[in-house]
Amino acid sequence: MKSFALTFRRFFRDDGQYLLLLSPLLIFAVVVAIYPLFFSFRISLFDYRLTDPNQTQTFVGLKNYIRAFSDTVVLDSLKTTLIYVFGTVTLELVFGLGLALLLSAEVRIIRMLRSFLIMPMAIPPLVVGLVWKALYNADFGVIPFYMKALGLSVGHGPLAELKLAMLAVILIDLWQWTPLLMVIFLAGLKSLPTEPYEAAVVDGASRWQSFWFITLPLLKPTMLVALLLRTMQSFKVFDTIYATTAGGPGSATTVLNFHIYTVGMTFFDMGYAAALANILLVVIAVLSIIYIMVLERQQF
Amino acid sequence: MKKSPLEKITLAILIIAVMIFFMMPIYWLLITAFKYGREAFAIPPKWLFFDFTLKNFIEALTTVKTPRFILNSIIITTGATLLSLILGVPAGYAIARSKSKLLNFSSYFFLLLLMVPPVAMLIPFYLIMRDVHLLGSYFAVILLDTVFDASFVVWMMRSYFADVPQEMEEAALVDGASHVGAFFKVALPLSTPGIVASALYVIIYSWNDFLFALMLTSPKTKTIPLGILASFSAVEIGWGRMAAMSIFAIIPAVIISLFLNKYFVRGLTMGATKG
Repeated sequence: MKSFALTFRRFFRDDGQYLLLLSPLLIFAVVVAIYPLFFSFRISLFDYRLTDPNQTQTFVGLKNYIRAFSDTVVLDSLKTTLIYVFGTVTLELVFGLGLALLLSAEVRIIRMLRSFLIMPMAIPPLVVGLVWKALYNADFGVIPFYMKALGLSVGHGPLAELKLAMLAVILIDLWQWTPLLMVIFLAGLKSLPTEPYEAAVVDGASRWQSFWFITLPLLKPTMLVALLLRTMQSFKVFDTIYATTAGGPGSATTVLNFHIYTVGMTFFDMGYAAALANILLVVIAVLSIIYIMVLERQQF
Repeated sequence: MKKSPLEKITLAILIIAVMIFFMMPIYWLLITAFKYGREAFAIPPKWLFFDFTLKNFIEALTTVKTPRFILNSIIITTGATLLSLILGVPAGYAIARSKSKLLNFSSYFFLLLLMVPPVAMLIPFYLIMRDVHLLGSYFAVILLDTVFDASFVVWMMRSYFADVPQEMEEAALVDGASHVGAFFKVALPLSTPGIVASALYVIIYSWNDFLFALMLTSPKTKTIPLGILASFSAVEIGWGRMAAMSIFAIIPAVIISLFLNKYFVRGLTMGATKG
């Protein structure tokens, strides 16, 4: 009984006050974030079209979810998403590590060049999309001009050709986000111990060998964090797709995130859009939890 | 292991190639904003010598409502930044200082919130805002931006306060101050660097937002990215004007990446690096 009273007093002396500092945000988050997510779950169980003049909501149970897994458009967009995510993340990991190694010297000019490389990440993705759209333009774009000069055929421009569109949007992503991987790898490289390298020099290892057998294995934890972080972000791509291809040509660049937007905000099929959004939410939540676990294991 | 001259030259060429690739689009945007229409799309492209003009900027400021778009962006960015700091900084402090497992654990809740796909939040939020007649208001965008911004601030401030020495706060507690008092009188005034770092990232996030503004603003509350898109898809193809408007849109990005990039990067990696 005494210990209970003590806990009770301690709560009001310490944690109660901390809770007081936390509570405005908690209340805000519950009202503005958690409630909408519950609301989203509720509408995903209904057939609800904003275009319906009577605004009727018919309860359909899990039908929207079942429909999602048999909808070929959704399955196609899922495939497109996986190609996009896999393409961007692997290429950015490789080039990001390359950039980090290339620009790791702590010299003034290199430091300056590195700060220029931060710029793409801070520019509004929509502007990035529009700029690349101009650069890719078949008639006056800079990129097709140099492609033609090299004797390559451009057709209707990289963004409008079925075979090139995906590659073209992946390149935009590479431009904007490879520097992030560089930054993460630079931090990883700086935290590496020096002893193994000294030992390798004594043993007469080549630079390539010490990279392959020392640097790469030691960078594994950094790579895992970078991989997870970029995978989550890449799943959420929207602005650049909206600005460049709007999912086309055909559905060549319709990633799931963009498809959900189309279902909800162009076709106004709210129940189905909510169901699709919730599926994406679960995928991202699982990745996030893995990310948190990895991050925590590395810090303690 | 000394590098041979050949290696050095190869590395220098690689670095130049990398810088050309990453800077070319930004440079293109910059010169296009100062070019006349006929020169903007000259074939072969004019990279260095062209007729310099301010025509695009004058057009952007007079014929389309660029000043209005910028003002709207400033209002929404300021609102979301202030609100997320007011809510997030005390919360980050509480999580960092409390010994309660439950409170500590709540920081993961905010990290998870930060990762929610924006579209998953937008669909229900759009319907709710429609029902409470807030669609098209600044407030609607500010609220939704703040969900992500404040979650970010908590996560950043938690790690900031955890690294800050606690002696002065403990001294205040011994002198009879409450935890709330110690926060406002001692910890808060000392936390400016952490707050600046969080604010920078939040400013960029809200300023660059396109999706939320696309669905939640009206023609009167349109932000600059939407303004660029709207003026661009108008009758004539105004690439030069688009470029001029984009220059306004990327000013915060340029300032932050050139002068304050350490803080910004720390935000981007969400604590994965200490920056």
